[in-house]
Amino acid sequence: MIGKPDLTRLAALLTPTRRAFLQATAATTATALIGGRATPAQAFAYEPYPRDDDLTTVVTSCAHNCGSRHMLVAHKKGDVIVRLSTDNGTYQGDAYGTDTEEKPQLRACLRGRSYRVRLYSPERLLYPMKRVGKRGEGKFKRISWDQALSEISERMVYLRDKYGPTALLDQAYAGASYGVLHKSDQIEGLQARFLGMFGCRTNSWSVPSYQGTTSSSRWTFGTIQDGNEDDAYAHTKLMIMWGWNPAYTFHGGNTFYYLRMAKQRGCKFVVIDPQYTDSAAAYDAWWIPIRPNTDAAMMAGMAYYIFDKGLQDQAFIDRFVQGMDAGTMPDWAKGQESFKDYILGVSDGVPKTPEWASEICGVPAADIIKLADMYATTKPAALKASWAPGRAAFGEQYNRMAAALQAMTGNIGVLGGCAEGVGKGWHPESVAYPYDQNANIWYASIKSDRWAHIVLNYPNVTRVEAGLWPRSDNLDGVIPNIRGIFWQGSDWLNQLTNINKEIEAIRKLEAEGDSESLLVCLDATITPTGIWADYLLPSCTHFERHDVALPWYKGHYYIHRPKVIEPLGESKTDFQIFTELAYRLGFGPAYNPKADRSYFDYNDAVDEAYLFDWWSKVQFNQGVTWSWEEFKAHGVYKFVLPEPHVAFREQIEQGKPFETSSGKIEIFSTELAQVQDWTLTRWGEYIPAIPKWIEPWESLNHPKTKDFPFHMITPHPRWRTHSIFNNIGWLRETFSQETTINASDAKRLGLQTGDTVEIWNERGKVITPVYVTERCMPGVVVLHEGSWMDIDENGVDRSGNPDFLTLDNPSPAGAFAYNTLLVDVKKTELNHRPGWDQLATARSHIFRRDQ
Amino acid sequence: MTDKADQPTLKAAILKKKRETYTPVVPDMQLGFVHNNVDCIGCRACEIACKDKNGLPPGPRFRRVQYVEGGIYPEVFAFKINMSCNHCAEPACLPTCPTGAIFKRKDNGVVDIDSTLCIGCRKCEAACPFGAPQFNVELNIVQKCNMCIDELEAGRKPYCVSACMMRVLDIGPINELRDGTYETKAVGPNDSVVRQVKSMADPELTDPSIVFVAHSKGRMDNG
Repeated sequence: MIGKPDLTRLAALLTPTRRAFLQATAATTATALIGGRATPAQAFAYEPYPRDDDLTTVVTSCAHNCGSRHMLVAHKKGDVIVRLSTDNGTYQGDAYGTDTEEKPQLRACLRGRSYRVRLYSPERLLYPMKRVGKRGEGKFKRISWDQALSEISERMVYLRDKYGPTALLDQAYAGASYGVLHKSDQIEGLQARFLGMFGCRTNSWSVPSYQGTTSSSRWTFGTIQDGNEDDAYAHTKLMIMWGWNPAYTFHGGNTFYYLRMAKQRGCKFVVIDPQYTDSAAAYDAWWIPIRPNTDAAMMAGMAYYIFDKGLQDQAFIDRFVQGMDAGTMPDWAKGQESFKDYILGVSDGVPKTPEWASEICGVPAADIIKLADMYATTKPAALKASWAPGRAAFGEQYNRMAAALQAMTGNIGVLGGCAEGVGKGWHPESVAYPYDQNANIWYASIKSDRWAHIVLNYPNVTRVEAGLWPRSDNLDGVIPNIRGIFWQGSDWLNQLTNINKEIEAIRKLEAEGDSESLLVCLDATITPTGIWADYLLPSCTHFERHDVALPWYKGHYYIHRPKVIEPLGESKTDFQIFTELAYRLGFGPAYNPKADRSYFDYNDAVDEAYLFDWWSKVQFNQGVTWSWEEFKAHGVYKFVLPEPHVAFREQIEQGKPFETSSGKIEIFSTELAQVQDWTLTRWGEYIPAIPKWIEPWESLNHPKTKDFPFHMITPHPRWRTHSIFNNIGWLRETFSQETTINASDAKRLGLQTGDTVEIWNERGKVITPVYVTERCMPGVVVLHEGSWMDIDENGVDRSGNPDFLTLDNPSPAGAFAYNTLLVDVKKTELNHRPGWDQLATARSHIFRRDQ
Repeated sequence: MTDKADQPTLKAAILKKKRETYTPVVPDMQLGFVHNNVDCIGCRACEIACKDKNGLPPGPRFRRVQYVEGGIYPEVFAFKINMSCNHCAEPACLPTCPTGAIFKRKDNGVVDIDSTLCIGCRKCEAACPFGAPQFNVELNIVQKCNMCIDELEAGRKPYCVSACMMRVLDIGPINELRDGTYETKAVGPNDSVVRQVKSMADPELTDPSIVFVAHSKGRMDNG
C-alpha cells in the first residue's frame, strides 16, 4: 500500500466538484434537459432531508450495561433526535478521521446505534402507573406522581415497622446507567443509598455476570483490577480466548479492534468454546470445542504437561507466587497440599494428565498437549479467561485454574500477557453523587439468586442456603423476611435463574394480601419484570438528564452526557425520584445534600453542581488540565497513556507487593486455608485452598444425560444487552431468538433450520426456532439469555428465555450456574412468540456454499 | 408519503431516461466500497447506522451483512460478505426504471433514486443482481443506498463506514482500491483485494464498484 490515509483528499475532491457542479447547473437546469447533456437530477432522493450540518449536534454516549461505553452523537431538530452518529475523531479536537492506536475512535455497536428506537419506543413508560389487575397480569392505570410516591412511602414504612430492616430487597442493577451521577448498581447505586438510609434493605451480593471470576481474582490477586487496557492486546503473540466472544459482547471500548491489530502483527489465536464463534472466524483461530463446564479439567491437564516437561517459569514462581509448589508454600502451611502436588497426583493418587483431562472435557489429549506447549513456550502469551465458563457450578475453580496457568508461565504483569480474570483495567473517577458513610448500608446480604428460595421457605432457611454475608452485630445469620422488591434499572425477574420459582415466590407474597408486600419498578420502558410490579415509576433515559459516562470495564476516557432533550412524558431522573421519596420519608436533605425539595421539578443546577465537583476530582487526581467548560464543549476527554496499561506491572517490575495478605499471587489462598467453620462464611461450603477440578452438578458426563441428553449454554446475545433492546425492530430483524444445535443432532431429531422446537427439563419449558449448524459441538445447544418472557396458559415460555430452565443454586463462591443445565429438545407444534412482528429475519439467511 | 412530481417533470425525466439508458454516465471519479470478508465480525453496526441515518422501518435494508459458513464439524469456516449498493459502472437497475427516477451522478458515480419520480413498480429490484434496491412498504417506493451523498458532500464518509467497529469497511476511488494504491484500514498489510467472491453475481454483468478481501474459502480460484 502506498500513499497516506486520504480523507482530506477525498473530501477535497468531492466537495468543490459537487458544489461547483451544482452551482453551474442550477442556472441551466431547464436547458440542461433540453440540451441533451447527461445531468444528475438536483433533487436529493429523500427530500425534505435534514442534513447533519443543519441540525444541532450534541455529543453523548450509550448507557446500557454491556461493559463498553461508546460515543453517540445526537443530531436533533428542536427537541427531537432525528439521527445518531458516532465518534469521527473531531470531537476531542483533532482532525476528522483521527483514529490512532493511542487515541482510537469510540465507535458504537449495533445496540448503541439503535438507541433512537428505544428512546421513542411504544414501550416507553411515560407516567407513574399502578397495578389494577393481579400481579403479572399486566393491567395498570395512570396515577399522579404524588399518589404514587405517597402510597409507596406509606407502604415502605408499614413493611419496615412490621417486618424489620430486611423486608425490602434491593434488586437494582446496571440497566439504567453507568453514569457518574445517576447510577443503578448494588454497591454505588442511588437505590442502595436510598434504601440503606431508610433503614430497610436486603442487599444481593453475588454478581450474576462474573461472581466466580470476582471471587477468584480477589483470592488470587487481592483485587479485581486485574485487567490490561485493551490496547495491550495488540502486543501479544498468542491469544487464547477461553469462552470469550468479544464479537458478540463488544466487551471493552475497542478490544476486538486491537485484537485485529494483533492478528496483523502475527499473533496466533486459539478459541476454546463449544461454538465456532464469530470471534473464532474473524481472528482465524484454532478452534478447540470443549464440553461445557469441564474447562478446569482441561486446564489441569495443561498444567500437568507444563510441570512434567519443566516448562514453567520457575524464577517467576519462586519470586511472586504462593503455593504453586512445595517450595512456595507459606511457612505456616508447610506440608499442606500445593498446586503442583494436586496436579501431579501426589496427594490424591490421580495425576491430572492430559489423558485424564481428555476423558472429562472431550478434547483430544494431543490437542491439550499442543496448546499447553504453545502457551508455555510463546512469550508473551495471553490466556484470556472470560467470565462465561465461570458462570457454572464451581465456576470459580475454572478462573482460579486459569490464574494458576497465567502465573506458572510468567505471563502476569508483562505487556502481551494477561492476568484476567475480571479484567477491570484503568481506574476512573466513578462517583459524582454523595458517596459517604450512608452508601451501601445493608441489614442482610444474600446470594442474589436465592431470594425466591428464601421467600418460599421462610423462615425454614439456613444461612448456608441463603448465602448470607457475615455481620458483626446481632443481625448476623438472621434470614431476611423479604416482603418487597425494588427494581431500579433491573430486569432481574426475567434475568435471574429458575423464573418459575421466582414467580411462585411472588405468588406467595401476593397470597398474603396486597398490603403485606410491595413491588416497585423504576425503568424507562416496560420490562418483563415491570409487568409484575405494583407501581411503575417512569425514569427518563440518559438522553433526558445530565451526566458523564465512563467505561466501567476497559477504556480510558470520559464522555459528557448533557440533557439532549427534555424528559418525555412525566418521566423523572432516578435521582429525582429517590430524593423526593427521601423527603417524604424524612431524610431528604441527607440523601441529596446539594438539593432542596424543589429538586423534583428543577434538577439542572444541582446536577451541574455535583458534576462540576466530580470534574475537580478528575482534574486533581488524574492530572487533567481541561476546565469543566472545556470538557463540556468537546464532549469527550480521551486519556493518552504513556504506555499500554498492564495489570500488576508495578508488582513485577518494581517488586510492589500484591494486594493479598501474603503480598504474592496466591494460588494457595491464605483466606480459604484459614477458614475454620465454612457455614459461617458467605460461601457456606468448603472451597479448596488451591484450584481443583470439581465435578459440576450436571454435565455431559452425568448419568442424568439419559433423560436430558443436551447441555445448554446461555451466552450473551449480540442484538441485546441482556434483556435491554429486545423490543427494537431493527435488531430483531438482524438476529432472532433461536436455539443453535449441531447438524448431526438435528438430523437425528428431524430438525431443519427454521423449525420450532420445545426445550425442557424438570424446571420449565421454552419454545424457539432452531438454527442448525456445524459450528456447534454435538450434544450442546445454545440459547441466548434475555428474551422477554411470554408465558402461555400452561406455563410454557413462548419467547424462548433460557432462565426458565436454569437452576437457582449458586456455586459456593457465588457464581451463578447459568451454564450448568441439561435439557431435552424436540420438534413442536407450539408457536414461538417473538413478541413483535418479524418482517424480515436475516440471521437465518446463512448460506452454505461449499456443497 | 413523498410528494410526486407533476406531469411535465415526469415527461422530461422519461425523455432523459431514454437518452441515458444506453450510454451510462461516466463519472469523473467512481467511488466504491471495500470490505474485508475475513476480519469482519459480522456485528451489523453498519446496518443499524444505515437504518437510523435513513429513517427506515424494519424491512428495507440498504446494507446487508451476509453470513457464509461451511465445513463439517469440527473443520468449519465462516465469513461475512457485506454489501449495500455497488454503484455499478453499468447499473442494471437504471435502464429498467420506467420514470427515469434512477440516475448516476457525474461527479462521483453514485447511483441514486429520485423518490419524487419513483412509482414503486419494483422493476429495478428485480433487475439488480446484488439485491440493492429495497422496497419500502410504508412509502410504497423503492429506496436504496446513496452512499450518504449528503455526508460525502460535507467531506465525510458514509454512516456505515464511520460505524465500522473493526474498520473493515471503507470507501475510496474504485480504481485506486482495485490496484491497491488507496490506503485503507480495511485492507491489512498482507491482504490483497478481489472483484468477486463466491456466492456473488458475476461482476461482468454490471461492473460493480466494490472490492473484497476474500476468505480462502470464498476465493473464486479456490476449488
